[in-house]
Amino acid sequence: MKKNKRPSGPTTSGKSFADISTRARDGDAVVMTAMEFKEFVKTNGVKKAAKEVDIVTTGTFGAMCSSGAYFNFGHSDPPIKMQRAWLDDIPAYGGLAAVDVYLGATELDDSNNMMHGGAHVIEDLVRGRAVRLKATAHATDCYPLKEIDTYVSLKTINQAVLMNVRNCYQNYAAASNTSGRTMYTYMGKLLPELGNATYCSSGELSPLLNDPLYRTIGIGSRIFLGGGEGFVIWEGTQFNTGVERTPNGVPKRPAGSLAVLGDLKQMTPEFVKGLTFTRYGATLGLGIGVPIPILDEDMAKACAVTDKDISTAIFDYAQQTRDRPVLAEVTYAQLGSGEVDIKGRRVPTSPLSSIYKARKIAELLKKSIAKGDFVMTEPVQRLPLDRSPKHLDTRSEKEAMK
Amino acid sequence: MKTKLVLNFNPEASNLPITHNLTAKYGLLVNILRAEIDEVGGKMVIEISGKADSIKTGISYLKEAGVGVRSIKEGVRRDDEACTHCGVCISICPTKALILDSKTHKVIFKEDKCVACGVCIDACPPRAMEILI
Repeated sequence: MKKNKRPSGPTTSGKSFADISTRARDGDAVVMTAMEFKEFVKTNGVKKAAKEVDIVTTGTFGAMCSSGAYFNFGHSDPPIKMQRAWLDDIPAYGGLAAVDVYLGATELDDSNNMMHGGAHVIEDLVRGRAVRLKATAHATDCYPLKEIDTYVSLKTINQAVLMNVRNCYQNYAAASNTSGRTMYTYMGKLLPELGNATYCSSGELSPLLNDPLYRTIGIGSRIFLGGGEGFVIWEGTQFNTGVERTPNGVPKRPAGSLAVLGDLKQMTPEFVKGLTFTRYGATLGLGIGVPIPILDEDMAKACAVTDKDISTAIFDYAQQTRDRPVLAEVTYAQLGSGEVDIKGRRVPTSPLSSIYKARKIAELLKKSIAKGDFVMTEPVQRLPLDRSPKHLDTRSEKEAMK
Repeated sequence: MKTKLVLNFNPEASNLPITHNLTAKYGLLVNILRAEIDEVGGKMVIEISGKADSIKTGISYLKEAGVGVRSIKEGVRRDDEACTHCGVCISICPTKALILDSKTHKVIFKEDKCVACGVCIDACPPRAMEILI
Protein backbone atom coordinates (compact mmCIF):
# COMPACT_ATOMS: atom_id res chain seq x y z
CA MET A 1 0.00 0.00 0.00
CA LYS A 2 1.32 3.43 -0.97
CA LYS A 3 2.08 5.54 2.10
CA ASN A 4 0.07 8.74 2.44
CA LYS A 5 1.87 11.70 3.99
CA ARG A 6 0.50 14.94 5.36
CA PRO A 7 2.20 17.96 6.94
CA SER A 8 1.81 18.21 10.72
CA GLY A 9 1.12 21.98 10.73
CA PRO A 10 0.75 24.87 8.31
CA THR A 11 3.20 24.90 5.42
CA THR A 12 4.22 28.04 3.42
CA SER A 13 3.74 30.99 5.80
CA GLY A 14 0.45 29.64 7.07
CA LYS A 15 -2.02 30.50 9.79
CA SER A 16 -2.62 28.22 12.74
CA PHE A 17 -5.96 26.61 13.50
CA ALA A 18 -6.03 28.63 16.75
CA ASP A 19 -5.47 31.94 14.86
CA ILE A 20 -8.36 31.17 12.56
CA SER A 21 -10.65 30.06 15.40
CA THR A 22 -9.93 33.27 17.32
CA ARG A 23 -10.63 35.39 14.25
CA ALA A 24 -13.89 33.50 13.71
CA ARG A 25 -14.90 33.97 17.35
CA ASP A 26 -14.22 37.72 17.08
CA GLY A 27 -16.28 37.90 13.89
CA ASP A 28 -13.19 38.87 11.84
CA ALA A 29 -12.74 35.69 9.81
CA VAL A 30 -13.29 35.66 6.07
CA VAL A 31 -15.67 32.76 5.48
CA MET A 32 -16.65 31.44 2.05
CA THR A 33 -18.75 28.51 0.91
CA ALA A 34 -16.94 25.86 -1.12
CA MET A 35 -18.76 27.19 -4.21
CA GLU A 36 -17.56 30.78 -3.61
CA PHE A 37 -14.03 29.70 -2.74
CA LYS A 38 -13.54 27.78 -5.99
CA GLU A 39 -14.63 30.85 -7.96
CA PHE A 40 -12.33 33.05 -5.87
CA VAL A 41 -9.34 30.80 -6.60
CA LYS A 42 -10.17 30.76 -10.31
CA THR A 43 -10.02 34.56 -10.43
CA ASN A 44 -7.37 35.32 -7.83
CA GLY A 45 -5.17 32.24 -7.57
CA VAL A 46 -4.22 29.99 -4.69
CA LYS A 47 -1.68 32.36 -3.08
CA LYS A 48 -4.13 35.21 -2.62
CA ALA A 49 -6.87 32.80 -1.53
CA ALA A 50 -4.62 31.30 1.17
CA LYS A 51 -3.77 34.76 2.45
CA GLU A 52 -7.23 36.29 2.39
CA VAL A 53 -9.66 33.48 3.13
CA ASP A 54 -9.84 31.85 6.57
CA ILE A 55 -12.61 29.27 6.40
CA VAL A 56 -14.36 27.30 3.64
CA THR A 57 -17.68 25.64 4.38
CA THR A 58 -18.49 22.30 2.73
CA GLY A 59 -21.69 20.26 2.64
CA THR A 60 -23.30 17.03 1.59
CA PHE A 61 -26.80 15.52 1.73
CA GLY A 62 -27.42 11.94 0.79
CA ALA A 63 -28.41 8.46 1.85
CA MET A 64 -26.16 7.58 4.79
CA CYS A 65 -26.84 3.97 5.64
CA SER A 66 -24.74 3.24 8.70
CA SER A 67 -26.76 5.58 10.87
CA GLY A 68 -28.98 5.24 13.89
CA ALA A 69 -29.91 6.80 17.18
CA TYR A 70 -29.79 5.83 20.83
CA PHE A 71 -32.43 6.80 23.33
CA ASN A 72 -32.95 6.80 27.05
CA PHE A 73 -36.66 6.76 27.83
CA GLY A 74 -36.55 7.25 31.60
CA HIS A 75 -37.73 4.60 34.06
CA SER A 76 -41.21 3.16 34.27
CA ASP A 77 -42.92 2.35 37.55
CA PRO A 78 -42.43 -0.47 38.34
CA PRO A 79 -39.12 -0.41 36.43
CA ILE A 80 -38.34 -2.51 33.35
CA LYS A 81 -35.03 -3.75 31.86
CA MET A 82 -36.02 -3.79 28.21
CA GLN A 83 -34.74 -6.90 26.48
CA ARG A 84 -36.62 -6.46 23.25
CA ALA A 85 -38.03 -3.12 22.12
CA TRP A 86 -39.90 -1.72 19.12
CA LEU A 87 -40.45 1.87 18.03
CA ASP A 88 -43.45 2.09 15.70
CA ASP A 89 -42.96 -1.65 15.09
CA ILE A 90 -39.31 -1.26 14.10
CA PRO A 91 -37.08 -3.42 16.33
CA ALA A 92 -34.56 -1.45 18.38
CA TYR A 93 -31.55 -3.05 20.06
CA GLY A 94 -32.19 -3.45 23.77
CA GLY A 95 -29.05 -5.30 24.80
CA LEU A 96 -27.72 -2.31 26.70
CA ALA A 97 -29.32 -1.78 30.08
CA ALA A 98 -32.71 -0.95 31.40
CA VAL A 99 -34.19 1.83 29.26
CA ASP A 100 -31.43 2.53 26.72
CA VAL A 101 -31.99 1.31 23.15
CA TYR A 102 -30.31 1.83 19.78
CA LEU A 103 -32.45 2.13 16.66
CA GLY A 104 -30.67 1.43 13.38
CA ALA A 105 -31.72 3.47 10.34
CA THR A 106 -31.91 0.42 8.06
CA GLU A 107 -33.85 -1.79 10.50
CA LEU A 108 -37.21 -2.83 9.00
CA ASP A 109 -40.60 -3.86 10.35
CA ASP A 110 -41.93 -7.40 9.91
CA SER A 111 -44.29 -6.55 7.03
CA ASN A 112 -41.83 -7.84 4.45
CA ASN A 113 -42.40 -4.92 2.08
CA MET A 114 -39.13 -3.23 3.11
CA MET A 115 -40.75 0.17 2.94
CA HIS A 116 -40.71 1.45 6.51
CA GLY A 117 -37.64 1.45 8.72
CA GLY A 118 -35.71 2.97 11.58
CA ALA A 119 -34.84 6.03 9.47
CA HIS A 120 -38.54 6.87 9.13
CA VAL A 121 -39.02 6.63 12.89
CA ILE A 122 -36.01 8.91 13.44
CA GLU A 123 -37.52 11.43 11.00
CA ASP A 124 -40.93 11.20 12.73
CA LEU A 125 -39.30 11.97 16.09
CA VAL A 126 -37.42 14.93 14.58
CA ARG A 127 -40.77 16.15 13.19
CA GLY A 128 -42.06 16.26 16.77
CA ARG A 129 -44.35 13.26 16.39
CA ALA A 130 -45.03 10.70 19.09
CA VAL A 131 -44.05 7.11 18.28
CA ARG A 132 -45.28 3.91 19.91
CA LEU A 133 -42.80 2.19 22.19
CA LYS A 134 -43.33 -1.45 22.99
CA ALA A 135 -40.89 -3.47 25.06
CA THR A 136 -40.69 -6.86 26.70
CA ALA A 137 -38.39 -8.09 29.46
CA HIS A 138 -37.49 -11.17 31.49
CA ALA A 139 -38.41 -9.43 34.73
CA THR A 140 -35.92 -9.46 37.62
CA ASP A 141 -36.14 -8.60 41.28
CA CYS A 142 -34.79 -5.15 40.53
CA TYR A 143 -36.69 -4.66 37.25
CA PRO A 144 -40.00 -6.50 37.78
CA LEU A 145 -42.03 -5.19 34.82
CA LYS A 146 -42.40 -7.69 31.97
CA GLU A 147 -43.80 -5.46 29.24
CA ILE A 148 -44.75 -1.92 28.42
CA ASP A 149 -46.79 -0.34 25.62
CA THR A 150 -46.70 3.46 25.50
CA TYR A 151 -45.90 6.52 23.42
CA VAL A 152 -42.72 8.61 23.44
CA SER A 153 -41.58 11.78 21.69
CA LEU A 154 -38.48 13.95 21.84
CA LYS A 155 -40.26 15.85 24.62
CA THR A 156 -40.53 12.76 26.83
CA ILE A 157 -37.15 11.14 26.03
CA ASN A 158 -34.08 12.00 28.14
CA GLN A 159 -31.32 11.52 25.58
CA ALA A 160 -31.98 11.17 21.85
CA VAL A 161 -28.64 11.05 20.11
CA LEU A 162 -27.89 10.37 16.47
CA MET A 163 -24.80 8.17 16.40
CA ASN A 164 -23.66 7.04 12.99
CA VAL A 165 -20.70 4.76 12.42
CA ARG A 166 -20.14 5.44 8.71
CA ASN A 167 -21.24 8.68 7.08
CA CYS A 168 -19.91 11.32 4.76
CA TYR A 169 -17.94 9.03 2.46
CA GLN A 170 -14.92 10.52 0.78
CA ASN A 171 -15.87 9.78 -2.83
CA TYR A 172 -18.17 6.91 -3.75
CA ALA A 173 -18.67 4.34 -6.47
CA ALA A 174 -21.03 4.97 -9.39
CA ALA A 175 -23.38 2.24 -10.65
CA SER A 176 -24.85 0.89 -13.85
CA ASN A 177 -26.38 -2.40 -14.96
CA THR A 178 -25.49 -4.52 -17.99
CA SER A 179 -28.08 -7.22 -17.28
CA GLY A 180 -31.41 -7.61 -19.05
CA ARG A 181 -33.54 -6.79 -15.99
CA THR A 182 -34.10 -3.74 -13.80
CA MET A 183 -32.05 -3.99 -10.62
CA TYR A 184 -33.16 -2.39 -7.36
CA THR A 185 -30.10 -1.47 -5.33
CA TYR A 186 -28.84 0.95 -2.69
CA MET A 187 -27.66 2.92 -5.71
CA GLY A 188 -31.26 3.28 -6.83
CA LYS A 189 -33.20 1.77 -9.70
CA LEU A 190 -30.73 0.63 -12.35
CA LEU A 191 -32.40 0.15 -15.72
CA PRO A 192 -31.46 -2.87 -17.90
CA GLU A 193 -28.73 -2.83 -20.53
CA LEU A 194 -26.95 0.30 -19.35
CA GLY A 195 -30.22 2.23 -19.25
CA ASN A 196 -28.86 4.66 -16.67
CA ALA A 197 -26.03 5.26 -14.22
CA THR A 198 -26.24 6.64 -10.69
CA TYR A 199 -23.64 8.24 -8.44
CA CYS A 200 -23.63 9.42 -4.86
CA SER A 201 -21.35 12.24 -3.76
CA SER A 202 -21.61 15.99 -3.60
CA GLY A 203 -18.20 15.97 -5.34
CA GLU A 204 -16.41 19.29 -5.07
CA LEU A 205 -18.68 20.36 -2.17
CA SER A 206 -18.11 17.18 -0.16
CA PRO A 207 -16.22 17.69 3.13
CA LEU A 208 -13.55 14.99 2.86
CA LEU A 209 -12.89 15.69 -0.83
CA ASN A 210 -11.83 19.22 0.20
CA ASP A 211 -9.50 17.87 2.88
CA PRO A 212 -8.23 14.76 1.14
CA LEU A 213 -5.52 13.88 3.65
CA TYR A 214 -7.60 14.80 6.72
CA ARG A 215 -5.34 17.67 7.80
CA THR A 216 -8.14 19.65 9.46
CA ILE A 217 -11.07 17.25 9.86
CA GLY A 218 -10.53 14.77 12.67
CA ILE A 219 -11.85 13.40 15.93
CA GLY A 220 -13.46 16.24 17.85
CA SER A 221 -14.28 18.44 14.83
CA ARG A 222 -17.58 20.23 15.38
CA ILE A 223 -19.85 19.78 12.37
CA PHE A 224 -23.28 20.66 11.00
CA LEU A 225 -25.31 17.50 11.53
CA GLY A 226 -28.90 17.15 10.37
CA GLY A 227 -29.66 20.83 10.99
CA GLY A 228 -28.06 20.87 14.44
CA GLU A 229 -24.50 20.62 15.68
CA GLY A 230 -22.57 17.42 16.12
CA PHE A 231 -19.05 16.07 16.26
CA VAL A 232 -16.77 13.71 14.41
CA ILE A 233 -16.26 10.96 17.00
CA TRP A 234 -14.03 8.49 15.19
CA GLU A 235 -12.89 7.30 11.79
CA GLY A 236 -15.89 5.88 9.93
CA THR A 237 -16.08 2.12 9.54
CA GLN A 238 -14.46 0.68 6.38
CA PHE A 239 -12.10 3.68 6.44
CA ASN A 240 -9.75 2.97 3.58
CA THR A 241 -6.75 5.11 2.79
CA GLY A 242 -5.14 2.60 0.50
CA VAL A 243 -6.90 3.64 -2.69
CA GLU A 244 -5.32 5.29 -5.69
CA ARG A 245 -5.13 9.09 -5.43
CA THR A 246 -4.46 12.01 -7.76
CA PRO A 247 -1.17 13.95 -7.27
CA ASN A 248 -3.19 16.31 -5.01
CA GLY A 249 -4.23 13.42 -2.80
CA VAL A 250 -7.84 13.15 -3.99
CA PRO A 251 -8.94 9.50 -3.82
CA LYS A 252 -10.27 7.92 -7.01
CA ARG A 253 -12.44 5.44 -5.11
CA PRO A 254 -14.42 5.37 -1.85
CA ALA A 255 -11.81 6.11 0.84
CA GLY A 256 -12.28 7.80 4.21
CA SER A 257 -15.55 8.18 6.08
CA LEU A 258 -16.67 9.69 9.39
CA ALA A 259 -18.35 8.37 12.51
CA VAL A 260 -20.48 11.22 13.83
CA LEU A 261 -22.71 12.04 16.77
CA GLY A 262 -25.18 14.79 17.61
CA ASP A 263 -28.26 15.70 19.61
CA LEU A 264 -31.37 14.62 17.69
CA LYS A 265 -33.37 17.27 19.56
CA GLN A 266 -31.51 20.02 17.66
CA MET A 267 -32.13 18.51 14.22
CA THR A 268 -34.69 19.44 11.57
CA PRO A 269 -36.69 17.32 9.10
CA GLU A 270 -35.19 19.32 6.24
CA PHE A 271 -31.88 17.56 6.87
CA VAL A 272 -33.01 14.28 8.47
CA LYS A 273 -35.16 12.28 6.11
CA GLY A 274 -36.32 8.67 6.11
CA LEU A 275 -35.71 7.19 2.65
CA THR A 276 -36.86 3.98 0.98
CA PHE A 277 -34.92 2.30 -1.76
CA THR A 278 -37.33 -0.16 -3.35
CA ARG A 279 -36.40 -3.78 -2.65
CA TYR A 280 -33.32 -2.62 -0.72
CA GLY A 281 -35.05 -1.09 2.27
CA ALA A 282 -34.82 1.99 4.45
CA THR A 283 -31.96 4.37 4.95
CA LEU A 284 -31.41 7.83 6.34
CA GLY A 285 -31.10 10.93 4.18
CA LEU A 286 -28.80 13.17 6.18
CA GLY A 287 -27.14 16.54 5.78
CA ILE A 288 -23.58 17.08 7.00
CA GLY A 289 -21.43 20.20 6.74
CA VAL A 290 -17.85 20.73 7.84
CA PRO A 291 -15.88 24.00 7.99
CA ILE A 292 -12.32 23.79 6.73
CA PRO A 293 -9.70 26.28 7.91
CA ILE A 294 -7.40 27.53 5.15
CA LEU A 295 -4.15 27.02 7.03
CA ASP A 296 -1.85 27.55 4.07
CA GLU A 297 -1.50 27.34 0.29
CA ASP A 298 -1.71 23.55 0.30
CA MET A 299 -5.07 23.72 2.07
CA ALA A 300 -6.25 26.42 -0.35
CA LYS A 301 -5.20 24.21 -3.25
CA ALA A 302 -7.07 21.26 -1.72
CA CYS A 303 -10.26 23.32 -1.32
CA ALA A 304 -9.95 24.64 -4.88
CA VAL A 305 -10.65 21.13 -6.19
CA THR A 306 -13.46 20.99 -8.76
CA ASP A 307 -15.61 18.21 -10.19
CA LYS A 308 -13.24 18.04 -13.17
CA ASP A 309 -10.45 16.93 -10.82
CA ILE A 310 -12.44 14.28 -8.94
CA SER A 311 -12.99 10.91 -10.55
CA THR A 312 -14.62 7.62 -9.69
CA ALA A 313 -15.48 4.35 -11.40
CA ILE A 314 -18.84 3.15 -12.68
CA PHE A 315 -19.26 -0.44 -11.50
CA ASP A 316 -21.49 -3.08 -13.04
CA TYR A 317 -24.08 -3.93 -10.38
CA ALA A 318 -25.36 -6.77 -12.57
CA GLN A 319 -22.50 -8.78 -11.13
CA GLN A 320 -23.55 -9.74 -7.63
CA THR A 321 -20.12 -10.22 -6.13
CA ARG A 322 -17.89 -8.31 -3.71
CA ASP A 323 -15.66 -7.06 -6.52
CA ARG A 324 -17.67 -5.77 -9.43
CA PRO A 325 -16.19 -5.07 -12.85
CA VAL A 326 -15.42 -1.45 -13.72
CA LEU A 327 -17.38 -0.21 -16.74
CA ALA A 328 -15.82 3.24 -17.01
CA GLU A 329 -13.64 5.79 -15.21
CA VAL A 330 -15.38 9.16 -15.08
CA THR A 331 -15.10 12.56 -13.44
CA TYR A 332 -17.89 14.17 -11.42
CA ALA A 333 -18.03 16.87 -14.09
CA GLN A 334 -18.92 14.16 -16.62
CA LEU A 335 -21.43 12.54 -14.27
CA GLY A 336 -22.98 15.93 -13.57
CA SER A 337 -23.35 16.72 -17.28
CA GLY A 338 -26.37 14.37 -17.43
CA GLU A 339 -24.80 11.57 -19.45
CA VAL A 340 -21.61 9.54 -19.65
CA ASP A 341 -20.01 7.27 -22.17
CA ILE A 342 -20.03 3.56 -21.24
CA LYS A 343 -18.68 1.20 -23.89
CA GLY A 344 -19.60 3.62 -26.67
CA ARG A 345 -23.13 4.24 -25.39
CA ARG A 346 -24.44 7.53 -24.08
CA VAL A 347 -25.91 6.63 -20.70
CA PRO A 348 -28.08 9.11 -18.75
CA THR A 349 -26.93 9.81 -15.19
CA SER A 350 -28.66 10.55 -11.89
CA PRO A 351 -27.14 11.80 -8.67
CA LEU A 352 -28.40 10.27 -5.43
CA SER A 353 -26.89 13.11 -3.46
CA SER A 354 -28.81 16.39 -3.36
CA ILE A 355 -26.54 19.18 -4.57
CA TYR A 356 -29.34 21.63 -3.78
CA LYS A 357 -29.26 20.65 -0.10
CA ALA A 358 -25.45 20.36 0.00
CA ARG A 359 -25.18 23.99 -1.19
CA LYS A 360 -27.79 25.06 1.33
CA ILE A 361 -25.81 23.41 4.15
CA ALA A 362 -22.59 25.17 3.06
CA GLU A 363 -24.52 28.50 3.05
CA LEU A 364 -26.12 27.91 6.46
CA LEU A 365 -22.79 26.91 7.99
CA LYS A 366 -21.11 30.01 6.56
CA LYS A 367 -23.79 32.26 8.06
CA SER A 368 -23.66 30.62 11.42
CA ILE A 369 -19.82 30.85 11.61
CA ALA A 370 -19.94 34.49 10.52
CA LYS A 371 -22.52 35.23 13.25
CA GLY A 372 -20.36 33.50 15.85
CA ASP A 373 -23.03 30.87 16.56
CA PHE A 374 -20.97 27.95 15.29
CA VAL A 375 -17.57 27.62 16.94
CA MET A 376 -14.97 25.63 15.03
CA THR A 377 -12.95 23.09 17.00
CA GLU A 378 -9.49 21.71 16.29
CA PRO A 379 -9.39 17.91 16.19
CA VAL A 380 -8.07 16.27 19.33
CA GLN A 381 -6.83 13.34 17.27
CA ARG A 382 -6.12 12.92 13.57
CA LEU A 383 -7.83 10.41 11.33
CA PRO A 384 -5.57 7.54 10.25
CA LEU A 385 -3.58 7.35 7.03
CA ASP A 386 -2.89 3.64 7.16
CA ARG A 387 -6.17 1.79 6.92
CA SER A 388 -7.01 -0.85 4.37
CA PRO A 389 -10.23 -2.84 4.58
CA LYS A 390 -10.38 -6.51 5.49
CA HIS A 391 -12.90 -8.86 3.97
CA LEU A 392 -15.36 -11.26 5.53
CA ASP A 393 -14.67 -14.77 4.32
CA THR A 394 -15.91 -18.08 5.63
CA ARG A 395 -12.98 -19.29 7.73
CA SER A 396 -12.12 -21.68 10.53
CA GLU A 397 -11.48 -20.61 14.11
CA LYS A 398 -7.74 -21.13 13.51
CA GLU A 399 -7.72 -19.13 10.27
CA ALA A 400 -9.54 -16.28 12.03
CA MET A 401 -6.70 -16.00 14.55
CA LYS A 402 -3.89 -15.88 11.99
CA MET B 1 -53.43 22.00 -30.36
CA LYS B 2 -52.21 19.01 -28.35
CA THR B 3 -53.45 17.43 -25.16
CA LYS B 4 -52.71 14.31 -23.14
CA LEU B 5 -55.53 12.22 -21.74
CA VAL B 6 -55.95 9.20 -19.51
CA LEU B 7 -58.79 6.97 -20.75
CA ASN B 8 -60.45 4.36 -18.56
CA PHE B 9 -62.54 1.68 -20.26
CA ASN B 10 -65.12 -0.69 -18.88
CA PRO B 11 -65.19 -4.12 -20.62
CA GLU B 12 -67.90 -2.97 -23.11
CA ALA B 13 -65.98 0.10 -24.18
CA SER B 14 -62.81 -2.01 -24.52
CA ASN B 15 -64.26 -3.52 -27.70
CA LEU B 16 -64.90 -0.20 -29.46
CA PRO B 17 -62.45 1.04 -32.13
CA ILE B 18 -62.02 4.28 -30.22
CA THR B 19 -58.66 5.49 -31.49
CA HIS B 20 -59.71 4.73 -35.07
CA ASN B 21 -62.89 6.76 -34.61
CA LEU B 22 -61.01 9.70 -33.12
CA THR B 23 -58.96 9.83 -36.30
CA ALA B 24 -61.59 8.88 -38.90
CA LYS B 25 -64.54 10.83 -37.51
CA TYR B 26 -62.89 13.81 -35.84
CA GLY B 27 -59.64 14.18 -37.80
CA LEU B 28 -57.48 13.84 -34.67
CA LEU B 29 -53.97 12.42 -34.61
CA VAL B 30 -53.69 9.90 -31.80
CA ASN B 31 -50.41 8.88 -30.22
CA ILE B 32 -50.79 5.97 -27.80
CA LEU B 33 -48.28 6.46 -24.98
CA ARG B 34 -49.38 3.61 -22.76
CA ALA B 35 -52.08 0.97 -22.87
CA GLU B 36 -53.11 -1.88 -20.65
CA ILE B 37 -56.12 -4.16 -20.40
CA ASP B 38 -57.32 -6.72 -17.88
CA GLU B 39 -60.52 -8.52 -16.86
CA VAL B 40 -62.13 -5.39 -15.42
CA GLY B 41 -61.42 -3.08 -18.35
CA GLY B 42 -58.56 -1.07 -19.76
CA LYS B 43 -56.52 2.06 -19.39
CA MET B 44 -54.83 4.10 -22.07
CA VAL B 45 -52.69 7.22 -22.01
CA ILE B 46 -52.92 9.09 -25.32
CA GLU B 47 -51.81 12.35 -26.81
CA ILE B 48 -54.26 13.79 -29.32
CA SER B 49 -53.55 16.66 -31.66
CA GLY B 50 -55.90 18.57 -33.95
CA LYS B 51 -58.16 21.60 -34.00
CA ALA B 52 -59.48 22.75 -30.60
CA ASP B 53 -63.09 22.17 -31.70
CA SER B 54 -62.31 18.67 -32.95
CA ILE B 55 -60.59 17.81 -29.65
CA LYS B 56 -63.67 19.01 -27.78
CA THR B 57 -66.08 16.95 -29.88
CA GLY B 58 -63.69 13.98 -29.78
CA ILE B 59 -63.70 14.08 -25.96
CA SER B 60 -67.52 14.30 -25.98
CA TYR B 61 -67.63 11.23 -28.22
CA LEU B 62 -65.39 9.33 -25.78
CA LYS B 63 -67.57 10.24 -22.82
CA GLU B 64 -70.75 9.23 -24.68
CA ALA B 65 -69.11 5.88 -25.47
CA GLY B 66 -68.68 5.30 -21.73
CA VAL B 67 -64.94 6.02 -21.58
CA GLY B 68 -63.65 7.80 -18.50
CA VAL B 69 -61.58 10.82 -19.60
CA ARG B 70 -59.11 12.68 -17.39
CA SER B 71 -56.43 15.21 -18.13
CA ILE B 72 -52.88 13.90 -17.73
CA LYS B 73 -52.23 16.70 -15.26
CA GLU B 74 -54.03 14.52 -12.78
CA GLY B 75 -51.74 11.57 -13.63
CA VAL B 76 -48.69 11.98 -11.39
CA ARG B 77 -48.27 14.34 -8.49
CA ARG B 78 -45.12 15.40 -6.67
CA ASP B 79 -45.09 16.22 -2.99
CA ASP B 80 -42.78 19.24 -3.12
CA GLU B 81 -42.15 19.16 0.62
CA ALA B 82 -41.01 15.53 0.54
CA CYS B 83 -38.73 15.91 -2.51
CA THR B 84 -35.07 16.25 -1.50
CA HIS B 85 -34.01 17.21 -5.05
CA CYS B 86 -31.54 14.31 -5.17
CA GLY B 87 -32.18 13.74 -8.86
CA VAL B 88 -32.45 9.94 -8.83
CA CYS B 89 -35.56 10.24 -11.05
CA ILE B 90 -33.99 12.22 -13.87
CA SER B 91 -32.16 9.40 -15.63
CA ILE B 92 -35.11 7.01 -15.55
CA CYS B 93 -37.84 9.35 -16.79
CA PRO B 94 -38.37 8.36 -20.44
CA THR B 95 -39.92 11.69 -21.47
CA LYS B 96 -37.55 14.03 -19.58
CA ALA B 97 -40.45 15.35 -17.53
CA LEU B 98 -38.08 15.37 -14.55
CA ILE B 99 -34.97 17.45 -15.08
CA LEU B 100 -32.30 19.06 -12.94
CA ASP B 101 -32.17 22.85 -13.11
CA SER B 102 -28.49 23.71 -13.57
CA LYS B 103 -28.83 27.04 -11.76
CA THR B 104 -30.94 26.15 -8.72
CA HIS B 105 -29.87 22.47 -8.60
CA LYS B 106 -33.51 21.61 -7.93
CA VAL B 107 -35.42 18.87 -9.74
CA ILE B 108 -38.12 20.40 -11.93
CA PHE B 109 -41.28 18.39 -12.69
CA LYS B 110 -42.64 19.36 -16.11
CA GLU B 111 -46.17 18.02 -15.86
CA ASP B 112 -46.90 18.70 -19.54
CA LYS B 113 -44.19 16.23 -20.54
CA CYS B 114 -45.29 13.50 -18.09
CA VAL B 115 -47.04 10.49 -19.65
CA ALA B 116 -47.88 8.95 -16.27
CA CYS B 117 -45.80 5.85 -17.01
CA GLY B 118 -45.09 5.55 -13.29
CA VAL B 119 -41.41 4.58 -13.64
CA CYS B 120 -40.42 7.29 -11.13
CA ILE B 121 -42.81 6.15 -8.40
CA ASP B 122 -40.81 3.31 -6.86
CA ALA B 123 -37.47 4.94 -7.73
CA CYS B 124 -38.04 7.97 -5.50
CA PRO B 125 -36.32 7.43 -2.10
CA PRO B 126 -38.40 10.01 -0.14
CA ARG B 127 -41.54 8.70 -1.87
CA ALA B 128 -42.41 12.15 -3.19
CA MET B 129 -44.04 10.91 -6.43
CA GLU B 130 -47.58 9.57 -6.48
CA ILE B 131 -49.50 8.10 -9.42
CA LEU B 132 -53.20 8.92 -9.38
CA ILE B 133 -54.49 6.92 -12.36
